[in-house]
Amino acid sequence: MTETIVTPERPLVVEEGDVKPGFIGQSVPRKEDKRLVQGEGVFFDDMKRHEMGFVHFVRSPYAHARIGSVDVSKALELDGVYGTLTGDEVAILTDPFFELSTPPGAHIKDYALAVGRVRHVGDPVAAVVARTRELARDAAELVEVDYEPLPLVLDGEEALKDKVVLHEDAGSNTVWSGVFDWGDFDAALAEADHVVRIDRLHFDRFSSTPLECAGCLVEYNRGTGQWTIHGNHQMPGVGAIWMAPALRVGIDKLRFVSQDIGGGFGNKITLHPQFTVCCLLARKLNRPVQWTEWRTDQHTANTHGNERTFLDVTVPVKADGTMLGFSVRAIDDCGAFPRYEPLGCIIWAQVTPGCYRWRSMRVDFTQVCTNKSPVAPNRGYSRMQHLWLTERIVDIVAGELGLDPIEVRKRNYVKHEEFPYETPNGCIYDSGDYARCLDIALELIGYDSLEERRRDAEARGKLFGIGIGSTLDSGTNNFGQSMILNPELQFSGNNEVATVKLDIFGEVVVTLGTVPQGQGHETTTAQVVAEILGCTPDDVNVRAGHDSYWNSTAGFSGTYASQFAVTGLGAVKGATEKLAGEMKQLAAAVFGCSPDDIELAESHARIKGNPEAALPFMALGAILNANNAGLPPELDITLNVRHVYRPPFEKPDLERKYGNLTLTYATQIHACALEVDPDTGVYEIVDYAAVDDCGKRIHPQIVEGQVHGATAQALGAATHEIFTYDEEGNLLTPNFYDYHVPHALDMPPMKNGYIESESPFTALGAKGMGEGGGAGIHAVCAALQNALGRRGEGPIVWRSCNPYQSVWELMQNPGETRKLVSVESR
Amino acid sequence: MDPVSRKTITVDVNGEGFEREVDARRLLIHFIRDDLDLTGSHIGCDTGNCGACSVLVDGVLVKSCMMLAIQADGARIETVEGLAQDGELNALQQSFSDHHALQCGYCTPGMLMSATALLRQNGSPSDEEIRRGIQGNICRCTGYVNIVEAIRAASE
Amino acid sequence: MLLREVEYARPASVQEALRLLGEHDGARALAGGQTLINVMKARVASPDVLVDLHDLQELRGIELGADGTLDLGAMTTYADVIDSAEVRARPILAEVCAQIADVQVRNRGTIGGNVCSNDPTNHLPPLLVAIGATMTILGADGERSVPAADFFLGVYMTAAGPGELLTKISVPPGKHDGFASVPIGRDGTCIVNVAASLNGEARLAIGCVDAVPVLVKLEATDEEAIRQAVHAANLDPPADVHASADYRRHLAQVLSVRAVAQARKGS
Repeated sequence: MTETIVTPERPLVVEEGDVKPGFIGQSVPRKEDKRLVQGEGVFFDDMKRHEMGFVHFVRSPYAHARIGSVDVSKALELDGVYGTLTGDEVAILTDPFFELSTPPGAHIKDYALAVGRVRHVGDPVAAVVARTRELARDAAELVEVDYEPLPLVLDGEEALKDKVVLHEDAGSNTVWSGVFDWGDFDAALAEADHVVRIDRLHFDRFSSTPLECAGCLVEYNRGTGQWTIHGNHQMPGVGAIWMAPALRVGIDKLRFVSQDIGGGFGNKITLHPQFTVCCLLARKLNRPVQWTEWRTDQHTANTHGNERTFLDVTVPVKADGTMLGFSVRAIDDCGAFPRYEPLGCIIWAQVTPGCYRWRSMRVDFTQVCTNKSPVAPNRGYSRMQHLWLTERIVDIVAGELGLDPIEVRKRNYVKHEEFPYETPNGCIYDSGDYARCLDIALELIGYDSLEERRRDAEARGKLFGIGIGSTLDSGTNNFGQSMILNPELQFSGNNEVATVKLDIFGEVVVTLGTVPQGQGHETTTAQVVAEILGCTPDDVNVRAGHDSYWNSTAGFSGTYASQFAVTGLGAVKGATEKLAGEMKQLAAAVFGCSPDDIELAESHARIKGNPEAALPFMALGAILNANNAGLPPELDITLNVRHVYRPPFEKPDLERKYGNLTLTYATQIHACALEVDPDTGVYEIVDYAAVDDCGKRIHPQIVEGQVHGATAQALGAATHEIFTYDEEGNLLTPNFYDYHVPHALDMPPMKNGYIESESPFTALGAKGMGEGGGAGIHAVCAALQNALGRRGEGPIVWRSCNPYQSVWELMQNPGETRKLVSVESR
Repeated sequence: MDPVSRKTITVDVNGEGFEREVDARRLLIHFIRDDLDLTGSHIGCDTGNCGACSVLVDGVLVKSCMMLAIQADGARIETVEGLAQDGELNALQQSFSDHHALQCGYCTPGMLMSATALLRQNGSPSDEEIRRGIQGNICRCTGYVNIVEAIRAASE
Repeated sequence: MLLREVEYARPASVQEALRLLGEHDGARALAGGQTLINVMKARVASPDVLVDLHDLQELRGIELGADGTLDLGAMTTYADVIDSAEVRARPILAEVCAQIADVQVRNRGTIGGNVCSNDPTNHLPPLLVAIGATMTILGADGERSVPAADFFLGVYMTAAGPGELLTKISVPPGKHDGFASVPIGRDGTCIVNVAASLNGEARLAIGCVDAVPVLVKLEATDEEAIRQAVHAANLDPPADVHASADYRRHLAQVLSVRAVAQARKGS
């Protein structure tokens, strides 16, 4: 079922690295698997401590209400209850978490528990700790909260009117707003032969819903004032930046530890409010406390992906199908609290023109709070929403002007020979060949037999459609983009750490700064280290998981933003090369030769050309660590090397909102064929091809696994996964019963193809690729559009998620959505 | 027997006998994970949809979040911890690793138990039968592609 | 996930089960638990006493009578139905049971539990109504039989009242049945489902459109007649996150036609 096409016929950008071929590029066995297939992984909920208490949150049943009083007395009377925490206590014991935004968002006060007011259903109001999980929930039911319901606002556009304001301190629901204007959009309009206008497009709310929900086990050391948080925060460095000032402690008082994490996808980046509650409880009750989030809690009140409405999309097009750019008004709904936001207000700008050579873009971007669950980065964070816009633009323009969407893409794609390509806002697309990827996708999906298959489907009473999604997975953030939002922020660049040591018995031990959740960091790290040290991946012991006390972390450590292959492995490579240098120095000192004469091979340091003169790694480790008398005093080595990888970034030009915002761009060109039952709106994806280009693939099997997973999530988001609210602000899809994620039978057969356009900007030629760009969402939308109608007649697929009923409604009244589009031809 | 709110139960888990007093309301999955400290079986939802807690009870594949521990009194339970023998992965486990059928590994124990049950009933399942066999197990990482491959390979 | 406190009993006989159900006001029978335990996890239901029917062998098993009638014990699991040779006398039963949820749920979930919970999206209520099943209910006052069409009274309410047990479902022979549904995804919760039976009289039962299956008797089985009959039933379906009332009304017609088409072919 899986086909692989590796490397294109014609040469791509290839930067010869100093790492020779060997383990890199091979699908070696994953080091993580042995424990995981035996149920011997350690996830946070697997840990137990003597006399630990279980935390249960008391959550708001109202989307917006003033809190009159919180009475915990009945809960405290229950046998087995250890204690409680309320918003009033939190307001005394902590400061609000800092906000990244300029005003009005800057004035939002976000505490670990609701203080004075609840702002979404599920907003935690109090927490109870008890001897068992069940008792904690029993007690939580006994907490009496007096609510005074307030009017609520659930729609982003409505919220902008500020008739109902969530955060009184901010005085407005607007978190952040700004205009981005690159190129010369007015000139582009003047130059156009056609101007296509789309009144409204809407990217729906969903999230990747990692199978393991959030949680932690927190221990407090009363003597040192230090907390150990065994939790599944996927970006603990940033978590600590939020939590430490709020808790009024130094950042080193927070030790974050994790071994295995059951998926993250960005949804575990904003766990600081709940973790802060657990820290306060561990200190207050002087016992370890454990919090396990349940699925319904996660859907209701943890994190969603950003919901975004695009208004007044205007696209100037030349007669030959060349598009000159676009303008749009975007309203991003971040739910009740910004938390990681408003970073989503800029992250999309990494892919402003999508895959296209568009030179003039004007984006009026506003982010707004509503009485819904807060958002957090979600696989494809912020770029996915924007790329859905660029892909909808291409297909709607092609449809309205009677152009072939394949030809339009090829005409407008950035061309292979143009890389590295600078976008109008200063981002550098490093390498790629979009047209070639599209050709491979079309070949895999059998584009030549399209009309035949359409006829076949029609003979069976089905409508057939095919669609393309072309996306970019921009990886390795330049955090300097945050300064475009708020010049006061002191964040720029990026970093990641690895520590590699040769231990006393010759064991190679690697400590990462990252927080893996399934990406195989132990394995790919071992490949790189083995390659450089001349041993095998089996000889390399990569510590599982993360511990901020391992002293192998930096400010941006974590696993997010498609960057491990660049930042994580960049750090590994740097540290290992330094270690290799030290090992050669040591061997040279022993042999009395120059380090240049030493080579590392077959787990030995040996004199080149004289394999007899060889020291096994064990000897090197033992000599320096335990048998070092007589070594030359000038030999300044530790065989324990910490390296910080720092990508080459500049601070952006804040006036022009211009600069390189990210380092690498992996490509995803996906093609989807589907059949729609015209009587019911039910549709089935009958064929799917995914062609990805992430530069050098360190471990092809892992890359393919990421492609499969990102595709499955995109197909889920396109078909059934949507967070829908009723008028009272209750989430109607609060768990997997109503929120239907793809099961095994829902997934179509998948064909995969690859090319490798190595990045000229990274140590290994690799690019991050874990997030994907949501190409499946765009491909399904395009295929539905294709199936439901021909030029000028069919409905406009204007939302990102199209469950069966939506498709049926589109077919019932195509004119309704056709009103969204107009063409002005000159 | 009159209704009880607490009872001492005995179970055989992976060939080892256990006797524990449990609340009637204790779910079997919490009993296995919290009381017996066999944490290989996981919890991914609260509605019986995800299958991460799948185990075999008297040879029958069940979701242990939709069964009370007290109902398992006297039962023989098989969990992921019982698959490998003497530290050697069994063919299915090895196949999952070989085919990269796991990423975060959270759904894997339940998935392995469903696959175990499937292969015991049907030694050479078709792709469709494999997909039906793991329909009750949600994976958010792999899109199931490699899981299906791994189960097929293990059956060959 | 965490249930309220509950007491548990596991009677060894049906009589003992009835006694327990009769003695405790807040008692509920626990069959396979694939619905009940979930609603208890959500604390939407909190019975005081669970009477586990697991050990009641007399409620299990499938018998094919000389007249072709199938007697299915209420505690028969979906998996038992699917694997049963006797059930081939009414093939639609196994076919529909195989569509319910997943392997794990089919292994533990029972046909009695399915109909007694009477979730309006369940598969079996419309099927049993369409094929004219008879439900046997046992109470302190003895046994009585209720046609499936009269068994379902409301959401989560059936003719098996407090202190009573559904013990048996009897199904007459027949081959000309059909079942059509639109589930969420390939095998998810049904948005609308329709069962059709053309054995003797032509009957449709539509699920998910009301608290109980809506029985429609057909005068004729051409498409137009089916659509008109469904239209004449004046369905007033609920609207929820998965479907509007209009969509459900529409699907009821489309799926009725399809269920009848399948029934005509015979399964």
